[in-house]
Amino acid sequence: MIGLWENISFCFDPLAVFFLLVITVVSIPSLIYSYGYLTGHYSRARIFVITSGTVLFILSMAAVVCSANLLAFLFAWELMSLVSYFLVVFDHENHQSVDAGLIYLIMTHVGTAFLLAAVLIMYHYAGSFDFSVVRNTIPLIPAATRHMLFLFLLIGFGTKAGVVPLHVWLPYAHPQAPSHISSIMSGAMIKVALYGFLRIAIGIIGIPSAWWGIGVLSVAVGTCFVGIMYALLERDIKRLLAYSSVENIGVILLGIGAAMVLMSKQQYVLAEIACAAGLFHILNHAVFKGLLFLGAGSVYKATGTRDLERMGGLIKRMPWTAAFFLVGALAIAGLPPLNGFVSEWLIFQSLFGAASALPGALKIFFVFMMVCLAVTCGLAAACFVRAFGVGFLALPRSSRAEQASEVPLSMKMGMGILTVGIGILAFCATGLWHAMRFVAHGITGGEIVPAGTGELLLSGTILNMPVIAGIFGVILVLGYCMVRLIAGPEKVRRGATWDCGYYGLTSRNEYTATAFSKPFRIAFSFFFLPQRRVEKLRESYYHVSSFKYEVRTIPVFKQYFYAPIVKGFFVVAQRMKIFQMGSVHWYLGYILFMFIGVIIFVLVH
Amino acid sequence: MIYAFLLGMMMFAYSMVITRRVTALIRSFRLQSLFLALVTFAFAYREKSIEVCIVAGLLVVIKVVGIPYYLTRLLKGIKIDEPLGLFMNPLLSLVMAIIFTFVSSLFGAMLLRHQDPLILVSLIAAMTTLFIGFFIMVFRIKAVTQIVGLLTMENGIFLLAAAITDGMPFFVEIAIFFDVFVCVIITGIFLYRINRLFTHIEVNRLTELRG
Amino acid sequence: MKTLLFIIQILVCICLAPLVSGLMRKIKNSLRMRKGAPVLQPYYNLGKYIKKEEVVSEHSSFILRYAPYVVLASTVTAFLFVPVFHYSCLLSEIGGVVALFFFLSLGRFFLVLAGLDAGSSFGGMGSSREMFIASLAEPVAICAMAVVGLKSGALHLPAALNLVQTPVSVIVAATALLFVVIAETSRIPVDNQETHLELTMIHEAMVLEYSGRSLAILELSAHIKQILLLSVLAGMLWPFPVYVPDSGAYLWSAAFFAGKVACIAVIVSVMEVMVAKMRLFRVVDFLGFGFLLSILALVMAGLGV
Repeated sequence: MIGLWENISFCFDPLAVFFLLVITVVSIPSLIYSYGYLTGHYSRARIFVITSGTVLFILSMAAVVCSANLLAFLFAWELMSLVSYFLVVFDHENHQSVDAGLIYLIMTHVGTAFLLAAVLIMYHYAGSFDFSVVRNTIPLIPAATRHMLFLFLLIGFGTKAGVVPLHVWLPYAHPQAPSHISSIMSGAMIKVALYGFLRIAIGIIGIPSAWWGIGVLSVAVGTCFVGIMYALLERDIKRLLAYSSVENIGVILLGIGAAMVLMSKQQYVLAEIACAAGLFHILNHAVFKGLLFLGAGSVYKATGTRDLERMGGLIKRMPWTAAFFLVGALAIAGLPPLNGFVSEWLIFQSLFGAASALPGALKIFFVFMMVCLAVTCGLAAACFVRAFGVGFLALPRSSRAEQASEVPLSMKMGMGILTVGIGILAFCATGLWHAMRFVAHGITGGEIVPAGTGELLLSGTILNMPVIAGIFGVILVLGYCMVRLIAGPEKVRRGATWDCGYYGLTSRNEYTATAFSKPFRIAFSFFFLPQRRVEKLRESYYHVSSFKYEVRTIPVFKQYFYAPIVKGFFVVAQRMKIFQMGSVHWYLGYILFMFIGVIIFVLVH
Repeated sequence: MIYAFLLGMMMFAYSMVITRRVTALIRSFRLQSLFLALVTFAFAYREKSIEVCIVAGLLVVIKVVGIPYYLTRLLKGIKIDEPLGLFMNPLLSLVMAIIFTFVSSLFGAMLLRHQDPLILVSLIAAMTTLFIGFFIMVFRIKAVTQIVGLLTMENGIFLLAAAITDGMPFFVEIAIFFDVFVCVIITGIFLYRINRLFTHIEVNRLTELRG
Repeated sequence: MKTLLFIIQILVCICLAPLVSGLMRKIKNSLRMRKGAPVLQPYYNLGKYIKKEEVVSEHSSFILRYAPYVVLASTVTAFLFVPVFHYSCLLSEIGGVVALFFFLSLGRFFLVLAGLDAGSSFGGMGSSREMFIASLAEPVAICAMAVVGLKSGALHLPAALNLVQTPVSVIVAATALLFVVIAETSRIPVDNQETHLELTMIHEAMVLEYSGRSLAILELSAHIKQILLLSVLAGMLWPFPVYVPDSGAYLWSAAFFAGKVACIAVIVSVMEVMVAKMRLFRVVDFLGFGFLLSILALVMAGLGV
């Protein structure tokens, strides 16, 4: 029966509760933050509108995650997309926001179209929209249709999650939205797409062959690389964070893809571990990406710019924001003893476990995945060193950065809550890991294996975060004390930075963000296709009066993948213009003739 | 008796097709609606249903009194000239209308073989009205005829539904009436503004707006 | 008891770390037909720096002040994952290889931030190049260690020492790891420790602003990182047989360890003398070759060799 009210049903099983936790953990600090962020910029009426929009957005995400019925799922999904569109174009005077919103709307509806097709196929075979009924009738679906169904679901959820090559909307939409909306979108909304993938593609359809998992892993690797490479070159701090979100989605999909391959090979314990590692990274990423976006928003509010090349020296002017951003950057680079390290370690170990357990070529494949993850981690660390180093350290590069001041208390509180969250996630990793395994068990199935003696035991190696962090802390303190003991009290004198005798260092002498990423731009030029333009105005052969240097990279996906498609559409539309007379009479005439034609047709037959 | 009313309705529908003047068109429409209301009253009397009575009364109020009054006031305000602007001359239009009546009678005969002849005649009248409404929307230039054509189509659909089924649910009828009323008012506002901007309401000249 | 032993072993290694550097420098100078500085010169340098006053840039923040301590702590913590004399270590199964490399990454992160903090171009240059080389070297290292892990069953270093006969794939992986060691310890094909020209320095550029005790701490951390990586490589190439723990066995294993590390130090020093420093973008090819070797090792491990 296709009616909305009959088809609303909820289920609160562990997976749904976990994703509700993810959504809450990002949304509440963002809402607290938004109080300080919005006042002073917007009028009270607009603040009311945006806050109610945000609350509706959060509730719709919760509805997507809790629904037990495909129709209700799609309805909530569409509501979520539409509300987030309105939030993205909230700054409608800025034409960039409107453009970004348009791209976002089109891409999300392309994804929803694929999802709708998949749901309709499932309904056709099952006769109902309910999850459990559909799950029971999946074996009836022929194999080719099942592959097509999986592909549709992958494309549909991948568009929303930001999987390459469907990620193009992310770097447009996330920077333009207000910062607390960006943090909720990046922290929660793209994870809701992964929830859909986990629930429907894995939980309902099941994994008949290893090729699905291998396909997902390949896509994940591509996503990781593309995301982090473009993040390394970005000047706009929020676009950098958006590309970094794309990279982290790739990392999560590495864990989930490994789980899929293991499930298809009946290694259910290892699959559960891999899936749980992916889920842990979902939670971690939500927290530290939310924190980073809120930090970027604070910088934007204080300096009025999102350009890294205009910032600098903010650590002395905005110490709290800098400290929070540093913690977020450390976490996202996966450095111990913070939570990013825990989930990256877990994914490494589960990939290694898969490599050990599976035969032959898959062994090599999984270790190659580990290598790709290692490259990604290295590049992510480089990216965030650049973001924090160029953005916050040394001298201010513009007058606005010089005049920046610390942000109000509610914004600091929002960021502070997330920072505390990072700490909690790092230290309580063991307890959380048991919870994750319980949640993952619901997806992967298999018999329940007792989780170990209270420590994270994976492929022979344990991760005991309190011990490691404790030892690190002890050594840090001991080191300081020993140096103090050996060398006596500190003798420090403030002086100028070494300037090679040029008498006076300005911000122009500092390394810029573009310069920092130049080695990457050159080494990976096969991907970035950088183009350089140099303009010299000479007064004579020896004297150059002005020098202009422009370097740009070609956005590969936009130019070679999407631009041809869009151009094709326009060409077809131009051809179809022949039918468009512009005359009302002709249009009505079309309808009249059709009407008469139908009558005559019925008469004749 | 009902047959007489139905015949009257058809006559006035044909008269809508052959007029050359705007005011005549509106007058024909008014009389056509009046006969439609009489048909509906006759149905109500036959079935002794108070709801159908109310619907017929509403028909009188809105389509016989209200809308034509509004349209004449609008036309006085716009101050357009009388000629209707034809794409097809009245004789040819009448021939087309009669051909369509014939086709619809074949159609009706095929559809309603064993039914009450009253229903067949109602079907024919309704389809004729429907076609004529469509026709004047397509083949007349001025924008006012679009409104009148739409209303005539709506008359035809109403009669069709009343004849073949037992009539639509009461609330639906009420809703449709109010919808139509509001629609006409809004379209009237549009016409006023189009006239203000372009100083004419000839729809075929609006093709200059094509992008 | 065991814990105390591990702590003593780490402290001994920390104390001997500058000696390894001094030894390598002496070998290089001897090969260049020079007398060179004494073998204990790094100790004299550390003593000299510690006593001096520190000049801190006025543009910098607390990151410049406290980064050396974080670098030292992370390097020492990383050392706790490596078995040295004993077949096990303090954090033997906890963390494993991944934690080792990520702790080194932590130290590098703060050092790079410190390079950017003072606002000079040298620091920025060094930081940029350091992150570039690190992101190329890490995958080679992880691949090599994963090969060892596949052969030995677990991804932590003490397990690697249980390989009775070193399989061919592990030898090839160790060769790949040699490239990583050269890159990470800032040795000649990649970086020159004896230069202060801005075109050629990477690690030196990041520590250019440091003086006094911070410089001493950073130099010591570099020595410790060097001996750490050398002992990892040595452990891969010549794994221990498992000894029955008694004091005589510890002395033997200490001597064996010293011998292993000295061997590899000699190899690296000779390589340093024979090759010239590469341009930054040729380091990509250098580490790319290492990556190829590690993939070759992986394929061999996958085939069961």
